[in-house]
Amino acid sequence: MGNADLRQLAALEEVSFDDVAGSVVAVDAHNWLYRYLTTTVKWTSDEVYTTADGTEVANLVGVVQGLPKFFENDLTPVFVFDGAVTELKDDEVQSRREQREKYEAQLEEAREEGDSVAVARLDSRTQRLTDTIVETTRELLGLLDVPVVDAPAEGEAQAAVMARRGQVDYAGTEDYDALLFGAPLTLRQLTSKGDPELMDLDATLDDHGLTWEQFVDVAILCGTDFNEGISGVGPKTAVSLVSEHGDLWSVFEAEGYTVENADRIRQLFLDPAVVDEPEFDTSLTPDVDAAREYVTEQWEVDESEVARGFERIEDSLVQTGLDDWA
Amino acid sequence: MFNAIVSANTLQATLDSVGVLVDECKIHMEEDGLEIRAVDPANVGMVDLSLSAEAFESYEADGGLIGVNLVRLQDIAGMADSDQLVHLELDEETRKLHISIDGLEYTLALIDPESIREEPDLPDLDLPANIVIEGRDIDRAVTAADMVSDHIELGVDDAEEVFYVKAEGDTDDVHLELDTDDLIDLVVGAASSLFSLDYLKDMNKAIPADAEVRMELGEEFPVKMHFDIADGEGAVTFMLAPRIQSN
Repeated sequence: MGNADLRQLAALEEVSFDDVAGSVVAVDAHNWLYRYLTTTVKWTSDEVYTTADGTEVANLVGVVQGLPKFFENDLTPVFVFDGAVTELKDDEVQSRREQREKYEAQLEEAREEGDSVAVARLDSRTQRLTDTIVETTRELLGLLDVPVVDAPAEGEAQAAVMARRGQVDYAGTEDYDALLFGAPLTLRQLTSKGDPELMDLDATLDDHGLTWEQFVDVAILCGTDFNEGISGVGPKTAVSLVSEHGDLWSVFEAEGYTVENADRIRQLFLDPAVVDEPEFDTSLTPDVDAAREYVTEQWEVDESEVARGFERIEDSLVQTGLDDWA
Repeated sequence: MFNAIVSANTLQATLDSVGVLVDECKIHMEEDGLEIRAVDPANVGMVDLSLSAEAFESYEADGGLIGVNLVRLQDIAGMADSDQLVHLELDEETRKLHISIDGLEYTLALIDPESIREEPDLPDLDLPANIVIEGRDIDRAVTAADMVSDHIELGVDDAEEVFYVKAEGDTDDVHLELDTDDLIDLVVGAASSLFSLDYLKDMNKAIPADAEVRMELGEEFPVKMHFDIADGEGAVTFMLAPRIQSN
């Protein structure tokens, strides 16, 4: 189901940072990073984040700008990184690749035409998470003592399951799929200005009189990252079909629809590959000096670009744990 | 074996002291009294409590361990008037706790102690400042600070010989100073630490207004707060980890 479809069904509510202060959030690292990467690339000249040998590390600027939001609001992030790409998602990866190639061609064109607005926009759309980006992000998070969890497959699924099992208080992602992965409470807009948006699974299910399984079935009918939806079936129709017939299989039978691999897709949401008991320490002792040196000296990022971010990290307060004093 | 009769007052004070931090806890039923130690899930606040056999109307135990859902037990204890007696008896066979209050019988299913978070070690800290203060003054400080901020600074000014409380909000500030006349006792030492009000507010709920609280403080160190319950037959220690600047 596209994000727009899910947004129509999701129970969303703006909350203040005060309401969520003190919580631990499992952040879908790729989703989070991608947002900062695209904004950084859009608004910053690429000389700032390109080393002498031409490696682009805009992610480091993004991380330093993004982390203070957590620290200043007394939220502890646990960054959950993707593992392997789920096989079924090949189509999605393929189509994203095609989309990117299209943007890259447009970008080339815009450059030739000297259209700087289009260049900035397209530049941000063609960003991908290179190995360097993932590795340097992890090293920087390590220096700042921010916990990291490696998902065997989808980071988003791992984050959602951690929230479901009470290992963290919230999942953190912009992606509405967190609902399908069963995250009871998800914080959105952690990367934007202003207050976060709380997405509540139980309230969503109550609103439509569905169980979580049925909600996943609704999504499959509308189309997910793993399958094309049934043509002509939007979220409202899908909800009434599933309510009427009970589950996906009965809807298929009654309406003559088919979705390839439907049972596997269902399992991907209801029982995704995750680490059952991820280990992470939520009392942080960041080494800001080492982090600053890493970013500005080792990776040659313009000092002025990250000075404010590091200051904000330094000024924010960290809750220690009693085990730090044992 | 565990069979005891206790005043609802004492039981409620005991459960409240632990319940402000955790929902479940282990209770050690030693021959000479009950022992409870628990830490909140984030490992920030800890409680260490002992309630001597003398605090009970009658008390028999032989060193067993049970796990309880504190929320339930607090609800049940709350059914009694403060001067009523509560009878607690462990059924070893069914692993249930029978509770009777003036004819009301309640059977509470226990929790496997193994499934409850491990009890923390009590950090061994030598804190330089000692402040003996009335519970009501802690309440005053916490309530005022909560109006302006999420954190509270507790400290001692050795030169002026005062214990101070500070809270700085975005627009408004709160400041409170208590000197040796206002305090029951003060041993000065270098001390100033910042704490989360969320935790301190919860702990404050369990501190009786008329309690003498001995507070131990250091420079960016955890705070310890000791006070008695059950007319001195029970002792509670709260420990709270500070917030520190990340640099």
